[in-house]
Amino acid sequence: MKVLTDIHTDFAAVAASRDVMVEENSRWHTLRQQAKAQFERNGLPGRKEEDWKYTSLWQLGQEQFKHQVSQPGHADIYDLQLVEDAYRLVIVDGRVDFTASSIDNLPAGLTVSPLSQAIERASEFLNQQINIEKPGFNALNTMLMNEGIFIEVAANSQIDKPIELIVVNTGRTEHYAMHLRNVIVMNESSQATFIETYAGNDNANGLTEVITEINLAESAELFHYKLQREALDHYHIATIAAKQAANSKWHNSNISLGGKLARNDVHSQLLGEQSHVTLNGLYLVTGEQHVDNHTRIDHAVPNTTSDEMYKGVLDQQSHAVFNGKVIVHKDAQKTDANQSNRNLLLSRGCEIDTKPEMEIYADDVKCGHGSAVGQINEDQLFFLRARGLDEISARSLLTFAFAVDVIERISNQELKKSITAVIEKRLPKGGNHE
Amino acid sequence: MNDQTQQLEAITQKEYKAGFYTDIESDSLPPGLNEDVVRQISKIKGEPEFMLEWRLKAYRHWLTMDTPEWAHVHYPEIDYQAVSYYSAPKKKTDGPKSLDEVDPELLRTYEKLGVPLDERARLAGVAVDAVFDSVSVSNTFKDKLAEQGILFMPISEAIHEHPELIKKYLGSVVPQKDNYYAALNSAVFTDGSFVYIPKGVRCPMELSTYFRINAANTGQFERTLIIADDDSYVSYLEGCTAPMRDENQLHAAVVELVAMDRAEIKYSTVQNWYPGDENGKGGIYNFVTKRAACRGVSSKVSWTQVETGSAITWKYPSVVLQGDNSIGEFYSVAVTNNMQQADTGTKMIHLGKNTSSTIISKGISAGRSSNAYRGLVRIGPNAENARNYTECDSLLMGDKCAAHTFPYIEVKNPTAQVEHEASTSKISEDQLFYCKQRGLDVEDAVSMIVNGFCKQVIRELPMEFAVEAQNLLGLSLEGSVG
Repeated sequence: MKVLTDIHTDFAAVAASRDVMVEENSRWHTLRQQAKAQFERNGLPGRKEEDWKYTSLWQLGQEQFKHQVSQPGHADIYDLQLVEDAYRLVIVDGRVDFTASSIDNLPAGLTVSPLSQAIERASEFLNQQINIEKPGFNALNTMLMNEGIFIEVAANSQIDKPIELIVVNTGRTEHYAMHLRNVIVMNESSQATFIETYAGNDNANGLTEVITEINLAESAELFHYKLQREALDHYHIATIAAKQAANSKWHNSNISLGGKLARNDVHSQLLGEQSHVTLNGLYLVTGEQHVDNHTRIDHAVPNTTSDEMYKGVLDQQSHAVFNGKVIVHKDAQKTDANQSNRNLLLSRGCEIDTKPEMEIYADDVKCGHGSAVGQINEDQLFFLRARGLDEISARSLLTFAFAVDVIERISNQELKKSITAVIEKRLPKGGNHE
Repeated sequence: MNDQTQQLEAITQKEYKAGFYTDIESDSLPPGLNEDVVRQISKIKGEPEFMLEWRLKAYRHWLTMDTPEWAHVHYPEIDYQAVSYYSAPKKKTDGPKSLDEVDPELLRTYEKLGVPLDERARLAGVAVDAVFDSVSVSNTFKDKLAEQGILFMPISEAIHEHPELIKKYLGSVVPQKDNYYAALNSAVFTDGSFVYIPKGVRCPMELSTYFRINAANTGQFERTLIIADDDSYVSYLEGCTAPMRDENQLHAAVVELVAMDRAEIKYSTVQNWYPGDENGKGGIYNFVTKRAACRGVSSKVSWTQVETGSAITWKYPSVVLQGDNSIGEFYSVAVTNNMQQADTGTKMIHLGKNTSSTIISKGISAGRSSNAYRGLVRIGPNAENARNYTECDSLLMGDKCAAHTFPYIEVKNPTAQVEHEASTSKISEDQLFYCKQRGLDVEDAVSMIVNGFCKQVIRELPMEFAVEAQNLLGLSLEGSVG
């Protein structure tokens, strides 16, 4: 294990102060003890670790994160909600903001609650999808998490409205760090839509570190959208991991716009036949932003399918990393896996490192992947200029056209509209080639 | 032997066809590696002082390095002290001046392998610098090449005769400290080929070398250096077979190519070393560093390889595109069967403006083998308008084998265009049915389909090689589809 040795925040001390909330001898307690031991051994990964080859945690290690807020948080979330009508949980500076949340009138078959109020049920599902030995933040999150959303959808229930989680870092406390854990349990033949938004005020310069664990039972289906739009000085580290039983479907869209450093690990394990996963991703970065998406799909049994499309737009001095791994395990015959990663480079100084990987241990499979790096097509630009668009509008339009593929895949119309609006605001104004 | 018997034999004999052992007295150093061995090698070679220093520098650095573990291959740890680092066929007093003086036993070995060393070489227009174990025994066509100022000789000879070129270019593409195996090679290499093509000369024939690993327990550490000066062209062929052996044999070669302004080098390899038996016993460890530098403007280097042999292949022929408008190409077919493991691919490092590279990689895995493509395309911040196209296809034959793709793409210039595509498939029942229906038996059908799959690469090979490579493909996959 190649470890980052220079960490200024005393995470172990924070963990000790949080031990009081955990009942002794509970499952959660055991997991925390294991995680603590693991974190003491391994700390955070250094760049020699293959999964962290292009993303340095050195600067994050230098920060002195705070874990206490001076006053209970409240945030105006009107601008942040992506759909009008939703079952909504709002977390502000690490605490649930009940006035902004609306989880009182839940339909039969749906449980939505803060993690801290659902410990008993949630802890059965903790660390089922993640491995704390993996180099990264899994151990750290397990020893520090104290809030998040817990969702359970009962068997055969179809939830009428989306469930929305909004996490805000107000920046009122400098270098404030949140460690969240979301647990989603989809029982047999259930169906739901889950939207998560991570945002913050422009001056927020803390850390949001979150793991979302998803359990999809037989024939369950989850539409899952994540929008990350934190401030440009903020760190965002996330893992989303799902285990899928037979015939289940998981449609994940992962949009990254904000942060100084944003890292997503998205992992699906297809453990039952006829299960399917869709991973869509879009990252729009500028300034000195760094965004890193690591995805992994395990086809563990025969007859599973996956479809992955990640697209990126890089402007100014930004740096993006994509690593997509598709593993077809032994005997997982008739796997159909498709993966693509496309990147648009808009200006001098940006950097993209992409690695679409395949590991295949079965022969009767259909697997393909493609990746491309390019720039705005001069002919297309000329076409638009000839029709009277100025250079900036033309470039902006073409950039949007490139990104729109990912947005088009969002099935909820209202959500598609609001995400389009967010993206349009973030479009690079032309991009500078020289 | 009449046709029928030949056919029968072809069907029954699925063993390694080039597996025999020639009994020639070898002049070997005892197994083991230390500074004295390095000094000894340098002394046997009668090398000038600067070479000894160069070797020692490499050796001392090697001691500080760790074996690379990132490749997708598994093998027991190698005991470098159990390897003998020098073995040369017994020398006559002054060395052979013509073919007549060459040990007839040696010539028979080449004959069995079908090496056109003497008159066949002339007919085929091939100049062969045959490396038998570690010392070059025969050079043909030397005079004809010399007329044009082309230098084609064993590298040990070049060290004596052209020390200025050696000093300038040896290690300039693959430095001694480059990686574990390159450092080892730099310390103990015994021979290899040296080619220098002067300005404006188009080498009139394909240059070729046959490597063989012969004496038991002798690692082969080849060092090849090819320099193509301004406006020159050379095509170099390298073909390998090795006799059957039970212990794993280590091969850590280094190949360096330098292409100056508008020069072009075409380097083709057919590698058919002993892959080990069905259970993975024996076989060659092939840990090779091959790299080319496109130093000059509009220079071009093209690597073509057909890899069917070796128990483990660890090989990434690369091109550093320094000169503006330079071109790098990599065409590869890698076949693994039984317990073979291959981790191979290329690196294209774009530094100059308007540089372009093409990568076509075809991997075929059968049996319980594992075949990985690992490639890097890096576009530096100053490489304006760089272009790369990569295609890696895998063909899986059987449900116990594995195929992997690890393509690294690093782009630091917004004018770059990089494309990567990969696919995985198997030979479909429909394809087989179609062929069988038209009267082909399964083996022929498979061989035909595989050759079709590899056509893009095979057609890049020089003619004589292409035929050999096609036969080799069929041979390597014999018995893998039933």
